Amino acid sequence: MLRRFRLEEPQSVAEVSELLGRFGESAKVYAGGTELLLAMKEGLVQYERLVNVKNVTGLNEITVTDGSVTIGALCTHHQLETSAALTEKLPALKKLEQNVANVRVRQVGTIGGNLCFAEPHADPGTLLIALGAKLITEKSSSKREIAAEDFFVDAYETALEADEVLTKIQVPVPAANGRSAYLKFGYLERPSVGVAIAFNLNGGVKGVKVAVGCAGPAPRRVAEAEALLEGKSKDEAERNLAQAGAVAGRAAQAISDLHGSQEYKEHIVGVLLKRAFERALS
Amino acid sequence: MQFQKEVEILAPREKVWQFIWDVDRFIACVPGCKEAKTIEEGKRYSATMVEKVGPFKVEFPTTIEVLEREELTHIKAQASGADNKIGSRMKLDLDVNLREQGDKTILGFVAGVDILGKLAALGHGIIKRKADQVLDEFAQAVKTKLEGDR
Repeated sequence: MLRRFRLEEPQSVAEVSELLGRFGESAKVYAGGTELLLAMKEGLVQYERLVNVKNVTGLNEITVTDGSVTIGALCTHHQLETSAALTEKLPALKKLEQNVANVRVRQVGTIGGNLCFAEPHADPGTLLIALGAKLITEKSSSKREIAAEDFFVDAYETALEADEVLTKIQVPVPAANGRSAYLKFGYLERPSVGVAIAFNLNGGVKGVKVAVGCAGPAPRRVAEAEALLEGKSKDEAERNLAQAGAVAGRAAQAISDLHGSQEYKEHIVGVLLKRAFERALS
Repeated sequence: MQFQKEVEILAPREKVWQFIWDVDRFIACVPGCKEAKTIEEGKRYSATMVEKVGPFKVEFPTTIEVLEREELTHIKAQASGADNKIGSRMKLDLDVNLREQGDKTILGFVAGVDILGKLAALGHGIIKRKADQVLDEFAQAVKTKLEGDR
């Protein structure tokens, strides 16, 4: 049962930040509520105040400027899966969004909420790391950019400060020869493993980024796996995929749980990396 | 969940043994442990364990019972507690072993941790990782404290 709480209705990011700063751990940002309200109903977390950010204007738009797509943190997954800008500029992200959770979650769940709650089995963070996205955050008096790969600290923990609000996600538009893909696998409601790859085909495989998620406590980039593919011809890279997959599997910090054993998840990381590479090329 | 840890401490075994029974100093090494009280010297103690994973917090008022005690060598203890706010229980079976190795003491412990109730919804993996971190921090804190005293 949901316990009583006070609902704050700020109209601006500065007000949201001020409320979070003032009430500290007794307050929490409320956007789509798909994760937060479940946890509250279960009694796993209790807050005296929820700070409803849905009245803050300008945070639910998708704009394309200067080689990047800027996504407002309040954009719902549904908005993203049906966005023309994403279809054109970031098809891998659109595809990912089409497969986030289920239709009920996608209708109200927001990309910002998904990233900030940092549930280990979430999809978007992994691909955003591979795409080199930046997360724009604001406080009452300042603004900063956090690289997606630095945003996730641990399970349910991010680099956000207590009074800091995620406002936008800026994703660079891949070059014309840019390729990217995200694949996931699982047999429960949430994925067991998610793998993302992005690279440019420019006389070989260049600017490779590999990220793994869901298997461990937080999504992370795997530079050691990237190094095995970087600068290689397509064929060479394909030959190195098994080794890169093994490296990525170990780097995933997979934990044994209901979603599978550590060894199983490490193996699946390798399988998915190989398939993601093929998907990105197709 | 079973955990096995060993920490090498540059201190004589007697000193490590005394330290274990100095409740206030010992408890200061257990991450998230507070309000430790002696109910019956050498047998029963109480404390509150507070742990946090992201926004999820648990507070277990815990009773610790010493089941076996073999001077300078071995302690077997059991701890259990419940967080009624979020409807979860914790049970810990602990085996502590001390052995000498030159001028060092090897403090080894085997811990069986069970978490029951709603907290388990966080997932076995997350809880296991957290428990592992807590035990590592504890082992490190004991080492630092004892070696710092020299």
